[in-house]
Amino acid sequence: MTQASPAAAEHRVLLADSVADFAARGTDIARVRKLRGTPAEYDRAAWTKMAELGWLGVLVPEQYGGLGLGLTEMAIVAKGLARTLAPEPLAGAAVLAASALVAGDNEALKREQLPRLAAGAMLPALAWQEEPGGLDPAAVSCVATPFEGGYKLTGTKRFIAGAAQADAFIVSARAGKDVVLLWLPRATAGAQLELETLADGRAFGALKLKDALVPKAHVVASGKTAGEALATAFDYANAIVAAELSGVLERALEMSLDYLKTRVQFGKPIGSFQALQHRAVDLHIHKEVASAVLEESLAALDARPNATARAAIASRVKARCADAALKVTRETIQLHGAIAFTDEFDAGLYLKRAMTLAAWLGSATWHRRRYAALTVGAKGQVTRDK
Amino acid sequence: MTDYNAMSDENFRREVRAFVEREYPAQLRFILQRARWHEMKGWWGKLHAKGWIAPNWPVEHGGMGLDAGKMLIYMEEFERHGCARPPDQGITQVGPLIMRFGTPAQKTYYLPRTLSGECIWCQGYSEPNAGSDLANLQTAAVIDGNDFVINGQKIWTSLADDATHIYLLVRTDKTAKKQQGISFLLVDLKTPGITLRPITNLAGHGEFCQVFFDNARVPRDTLMGELNDGWTVAKALLGFERLGIGSPRRPQYALRRLEAVARAKGLLDDSGFADRFIALKLDIEDGAALYGRFVEQVKRGEPLGQDVSMLKIWTMETWQRLTELLIEAGAEQGVVAGVQDVAGVETDFLSPFYYSRPSTIYGGSSEIQRNILSKYVLKLPS
Repeated sequence: MTQASPAAAEHRVLLADSVADFAARGTDIARVRKLRGTPAEYDRAAWTKMAELGWLGVLVPEQYGGLGLGLTEMAIVAKGLARTLAPEPLAGAAVLAASALVAGDNEALKREQLPRLAAGAMLPALAWQEEPGGLDPAAVSCVATPFEGGYKLTGTKRFIAGAAQADAFIVSARAGKDVVLLWLPRATAGAQLELETLADGRAFGALKLKDALVPKAHVVASGKTAGEALATAFDYANAIVAAELSGVLERALEMSLDYLKTRVQFGKPIGSFQALQHRAVDLHIHKEVASAVLEESLAALDARPNATARAAIASRVKARCADAALKVTRETIQLHGAIAFTDEFDAGLYLKRAMTLAAWLGSATWHRRRYAALTVGAKGQVTRDK
Repeated sequence: MTDYNAMSDENFRREVRAFVEREYPAQLRFILQRARWHEMKGWWGKLHAKGWIAPNWPVEHGGMGLDAGKMLIYMEEFERHGCARPPDQGITQVGPLIMRFGTPAQKTYYLPRTLSGECIWCQGYSEPNAGSDLANLQTAAVIDGNDFVINGQKIWTSLADDATHIYLLVRTDKTAKKQQGISFLLVDLKTPGITLRPITNLAGHGEFCQVFFDNARVPRDTLMGELNDGWTVAKALLGFERLGIGSPRRPQYALRRLEAVARAKGLLDDSGFADRFIALKLDIEDGAALYGRFVEQVKRGEPLGQDVSMLKIWTMETWQRLTELLIEAGAEQGVVAGVQDVAGVETDFLSPFYYSRPSTIYGGSSEIQRNILSKYVLKLPS
């Protein structure tokens, strides 16, 4: 583990303080409940507030108006926000879409859009998946046909995070043998968005495209650069989703431990029963292992490893944090008993967030298989998460 | 006298690595059973001659006086090369206790002899009715003139038949509450009235013994620490011992064996096997990340808290599951005794399985570790 430089350490403290302050005063569970399952999905005013705190530009290089910090810093924000279950699409827009745009090679577009992204004025969403479990960025059926120097886009994109109020989509499409990444403003003719509500009340967008026009100036990346941009964005987003999962599970475990200390049955706090104590200890160990892997992985990713190592690290941390969060949040229901099966009690909100985060961008099993393929060359690698 | 702590980490690591690679007996690398004194005597002598037998002891007592960072490097290099632990309880356990609680005469007599290997120690704590509930121990020492007269029995005493001395917890006050009537004695195993019965373990080795005390008479000056205050002495646990017991090295070694077998048999192409293999590989690697955190804590000079118990639980339970998959990977060969040839890969399937079994029992069972975490870390009510 490397020691952070004094400047980096200071950034981390400031970010942690600002997240703690926002968690205390800028959001609460009542707000989360109000936005669940609504067409708005999240709150642009809260998004603007996050921009003002500098969070949306954490991964945006300084020359494009961001802070130019690393995943370690972004994870501080993501984990802290996840503890509050804030529904704003930090990982979807400020990590997944932002990283794809940053890794592209359209300088003019980056100069135009990245400062707006960091300022909260432009909320992009990455539209790259098509089939359930289709996690191979090259498996694209959506077609980009050359047209007047640009492209015409036709096809359907699904499982788009943060789509509800997205201002633009970064769409992957097939152009001949190449994959291209195209910038598509929301209001483009021929683009129709539908929302699917998720278990946790957030939404995936489905984008139906029919002859939607994309000018040449809106090509984010093509060919090898596009593939690499998608792969980088995928790995970075998985690491940040892992941080969110870690925040969710930590808060759920705190709730469970509080309950074990205060709930009385048979004349004693139920936390005095060894069967429950040992379950709680196991959850605590899972939390600690996940936290150690997260810290190590973020530092390793920020050291800019090669693409293979980057993918292995991202898969390792996503798999660990997804399994740990699912285990802890499921057991949070069991440890609380019947009250936790009610919608009015918050435990279920944590379970449902863990479930949606675990399923998004590859399940633990899928990531372990990718890790196996990358580290020991195991076959049986799947690109489709069935 | 070399000041090892003044050396750079890289230079120190290089020097330790070169020494173990040059001097450690090749046939004893990565053995699972406890090494016996007759096998380790030569290696002990080499370490002692170099002044390296006691890395944890201060220089004035003949140790290397290593700081936490150098101590970890020393341990890592020994583990990396697969060096077996010699019968080293004198160095790791009772030696430091003698330095802290011993009389000047006890220090003068025992410390140099413990270093030289003239005194080989074994630990007399557990009894048939005092396992996890150690404070329930019943072996009694009654004062008679200038002597203690000891009656009772100890069990699971590792390598007692290699030892010359035993450090004992005995009951010296039957009326006091559990922990309060216990004393700590340093006893010569040649004392008349002491007999040993080796016990064969599941792996077929006689590593531990039952030790019987039948009116064994030892002088009063075998007492270390105050009378009836032996529990305090025994509880003065060493940080490195508690870190070492959760080290991921053994499961890492077992994983390399499993991977070699899996490759030889083409099992990684079987997605059912590969899923289980990779989950275990990640459990080990992720446990190593947890271990790394505690290592950093030790390097910063911070004492280890009760939370280190989680490391032992995770590491040992993972090790057990790994050895179970190794047996399964061996199919029929997995239950044939001895070293098997698996498409050119020499593998002992059964020993890792056997030797991982007691790892969740000794040094505080996994259940006791969970009790500790529940009480001291999660602070759940009792």
